[in-house]
Amino acid sequence: MGLDFERILPSIPYILQGIPVTLAYTSVSLFFGFIWGALLALCKVSHLTFLKWVAVFYTSIFRGTPLLLQLTLIYFATPQLVGYNISIWEAGILAFTLNSAAYISEHFRAGIGAVDKGQTEAALSLGIPYSLMMKDIILPQAIRNILPSLVNESIDLLKESALISVIGGADILKRATIVANEKYIFFEPLLVAGALYYVLVMVLTCMAHLIEKKLKTS
Amino acid sequence: MIRLENIHKFFGSHEVLKGISGEISQGEVLAIIGPSGSGKSTLIRTINLLDPPTSGKIYIDGTCITEGSVDVGKIRTKMGMVFQQFNLFPHMTTLENVAYAPIKVKKLPRQEALNLGKILLQKVGLEDKEKTYPPQLSGGQKQRAAIARALAMEPEAILFDEPTSSLDPEMVKEVLNVMKGLAHTGITMIVVTHEMGFAREVADRVWFLDAGQLIEDSPSHTFFREPRTRRAYEFLEKVL
Ligand SMILES: Nc1ncnc2c1ncn2[C@@H]1O[C@H](COP(=O)(O)OP(=O)(O)OP(=O)(O)O)[C@@H](O)[C@H]1O
Ligand SMILES: [Mg+2]
Repeated sequence: MGLDFERILPSIPYILQGIPVTLAYTSVSLFFGFIWGALLALCKVSHLTFLKWVAVFYTSIFRGTPLLLQLTLIYFATPQLVGYNISIWEAGILAFTLNSAAYISEHFRAGIGAVDKGQTEAALSLGIPYSLMMKDIILPQAIRNILPSLVNESIDLLKESALISVIGGADILKRATIVANEKYIFFEPLLVAGALYYVLVMVLTCMAHLIEKKLKTS
Repeated sequence: MIRLENIHKFFGSHEVLKGISGEISQGEVLAIIGPSGSGKSTLIRTINLLDPPTSGKIYIDGTCITEGSVDVGKIRTKMGMVFQQFNLFPHMTTLENVAYAPIKVKKLPRQEALNLGKILLQKVGLEDKEKTYPPQLSGGQKQRAAIARALAMEPEAILFDEPTSSLDPEMVKEVLNVMKGLAHTGITMIVVTHEMGFAREVADRVWFLDAGQLIEDSPSHTFFREPRTRRAYEFLEKVL
């Protein structure tokens, strides 16, 4: 077998244009997933049994079914269900957000649990209301606790965002397969795609190490 | 100012406070002493409802705070608390620690609260640590900052739960000195402590707790000279 990168050389820029697409899916979903995950975690640690139960059930559903199923369900079932013609972008962001929030909420819950009980007692003894205490005292310390796992979450999300190619999103993987199908060569374009994912993941991994080191020293 | 009526506290089936009654008047300095596990921390924590009593009543300035309808937050702002483990907010500077509650709870204008914070930090000898984060402070400095934080809400009383017990010996004095200074300002102080010197010199009165019961309530000079109960006598024998 011979590798022939020259034949796909003209298509490389086309594949590279998938990077911002992949990064957009990842970062936007991570942003909303972070907020939604924090809210879910607040439900899980609240004293309201109903909220707690809903959040726990939500998490088990999104962790207990394949992401690909969630994505295709949202993309294909939404028009049928509510009559709204959901775009690939919207379906992707929605599915990745809802899914990553389930995982992030678990990190958050652990991070909140790891904040010293004395912090709550000090806040209560100053008469600080629960909502302010969570927002200004507990969550900032919890976020610090879970920063490394949030970076890991973003790595997972970056790789899983490739599922968007299944419903036609023009990310790195989709573009590589388009090139492959056009030229009838598969190994080279997929290898390029793999290399791109790998480099992106390595950058995030380095960031995770830096953050962990910084947290340890301060 | 604070009146306890037959306070009982259970943790599960374990009765930790077995019917405690007593009164603390405005401006008084009360030392609560007793063997480990006798319920001192639990008692002081029932007073600001961090551990609400299982039964019994607590009155603050004549208002019963153990009845359902009270605003717990408001009561707590009247009573500061200083903990053995300091419990400063590690992600805020010393000055932010002190000014946070006045700004957010009392709704004091920010600048006014910061000025108040600076004055209080000066009072506890930390004027040069305003911008320092708690992890960079020594134990004694942390506890003095925690006292300033409690004072910032201008409470009528401050509860201290073994404020010097996790400090290195050379730092105990700087904290006790700050507390001595406070004792003369007319604020009510309830201090759980193993520092018998402090209890004898500074406290007006001593409560001696044993196995969940308040078995002696005496002016501190008589308590240390001639305790009325055998248990207190034996306790003093051991610690003095
Ligand atoms: N949250 C809790 N849950 C269960 N038991 C508790 C709890 N807090 C305290 N206790 C128990 O109550 C008893 C009294 O504890 P407390 O902390 O009030 O004693 P203390 O007099 O402050 O002792 P020390 O001098 O060691 O601080 C102990 O037997 C302790 O194990
Ligand atoms: Mg104690």
